[in-house]
Amino acid sequence: MRCSIEEIICADLAHTIKDGEVGFTGLATGKAAALYITNIPVAAMRLAQLTHAPNLTISLCGWTHNPDWSKLKSMPDAEFEQDILDLPSEAQMIGYPGLWSHRRGDISFGFSSGVQFDKDGNLNSVCIGDINAPKVQLPGPILVTEHFAWFGREYVMMPHHEKRVFVEKVDYVAGVGYPGGVEGRKKLGLAGEGPKYIYTPKCVFSFDDEGKLFVRSIHPGITKEELIESTGFDLGDLSEVPVTPEPTDEELRIIREVIDPEGMLLKIFH
Amino acid sequence: MAERTVKLCSLKEAIDQIPDGSRIILGGFSIYQRPMAAVHELIRAGKKNLTIIGSTNTIELDMLVGAGCVSRVETSYVGLEKFGLAKNFRRAMQAGKIEIEYYSEMLAWDRFRADREGMEFWTVDFLGGSDILTYNDKIVPFKSPISGKQLYAVPAAKADFALIHAYAGDKYGNIQHQEKVLMPQTIDFDIARGCDNTIVTVERLLKDEEVAAGNQRTIIPAFKTRAVSHVPYGSHPTPTLGVTKMAEACFRSYAQAAESEGAFNAYLEKYVFGTNSFEEYMELVRSEFSEKLEV
Repeated sequence: MRCSIEEIICADLAHTIKDGEVGFTGLATGKAAALYITNIPVAAMRLAQLTHAPNLTISLCGWTHNPDWSKLKSMPDAEFEQDILDLPSEAQMIGYPGLWSHRRGDISFGFSSGVQFDKDGNLNSVCIGDINAPKVQLPGPILVTEHFAWFGREYVMMPHHEKRVFVEKVDYVAGVGYPGGVEGRKKLGLAGEGPKYIYTPKCVFSFDDEGKLFVRSIHPGITKEELIESTGFDLGDLSEVPVTPEPTDEELRIIREVIDPEGMLLKIFH
Repeated sequence: MAERTVKLCSLKEAIDQIPDGSRIILGGFSIYQRPMAAVHELIRAGKKNLTIIGSTNTIELDMLVGAGCVSRVETSYVGLEKFGLAKNFRRAMQAGKIEIEYYSEMLAWDRFRADREGMEFWTVDFLGGSDILTYNDKIVPFKSPISGKQLYAVPAAKADFALIHAYAGDKYGNIQHQEKVLMPQTIDFDIARGCDNTIVTVERLLKDEEVAAGNQRTIIPAFKTRAVSHVPYGSHPTPTLGVTKMAEACFRSYAQAAESEGAFNAYLEKYVFGTNSFEEYMELVRSEFSEKLEV
């Protein structure tokens, strides 16, 4: 293959970003999580900015706006330390609420992750089993609830595509998707559109106008059987599902030569 | 003429004022500027049945849980960020030893804002469908009296004590922040304004003229402070912005110790019970870890 899965996801995601939007990304740690939740999103937003979306605002760690990427020699691994404070940028948000208000709808899209995602679009980052004495205790809802409720749309970035991750029903709803479809979501009074694109190492899921999950594309080299085998809910008819498109030559050049010449974003596994 | 009250005291004297069973907010955010010296003192004093209220909690909570000081937690996150999971907390939760009340991250901060404004609750509109609502009967749904929209009353944190590690302060309890601040500092402003009993440890003790020179950086005025203690490096191994860096190696050694109950008890014996003060603790870690702490 002339490019990596990470580069394919990066370009595909960039195409979904519109000019003038505001993108919000946190800082995940651990290789797989960092790659999916922070690095691919940053590379995709940069690609969008350098191609069709020059007015995209990138909010790194949710608090520093349009940083000078050329000054960033390695991806930071802590959100509120000196290196990001000293990174030149257009604005820094020092409190909550700050320069932008999530609750006013200022954020067009964000990125989140968790341990379980279900076919209704709900995300779990809290626990497996009973919440009072869980089988597995996880970190908690964090900002997932806010992401799913307020942001224009949410990208769910899942570094592992396994049956235990993509389930019929999550054990704890931290981020609310489309229970009862788009109509059901509307009744809950949530302002944002909710989860819209779900990226995994095997495929891209999305939700249609009624709030029903479908497979938008399958990555090159992944068979339909493999996808069915590693997903815990019914995927429906996959016969018409396209292959996730590869980046163009020009996009690949921008990713490799301009955005990520040192490989700090997309090559951490290579 | 009567003398002005000096609120400067030893950390032990300050922490002795906290009864078992208290509701406590530990200042700072995530792995940044946490009141670790105060946490050590709570453990040394053998406090029990504490409720810890937070927005995001990490080592400060995990250590207290591992030491058996905590019976209840109200927060959005317990982990160690880049240092991994909070294993003491995980063990205690999986054994059903801790009562948990979840709030999402900004929702948890809203509780401090309610206290700051003297309100019994804060109003939000975004909890429909979430299990935060399902499992938390303190959050009360109501209809907007203006539009009829579904809203949710989120209870104020109502902490008995707030423990904060700050940049600087004077002996009367005027607390000032560093030149530049971020969320882990500004959350402390909301916490302190909303609590009647704020105990602060400071990196630097200020003279009267220094307070005057930086009076716009005073974020907790003396009358809001219950006690102040001078504890340099008091957030170690978490950083204090502009003063100390993250003590990476020490933090990793903590995370490793927390992997098992036995190793963690040995950690406590050595670093907390084996030292009489945070100053002694700092001497010990400096003799073991060569990492430079100053920014």
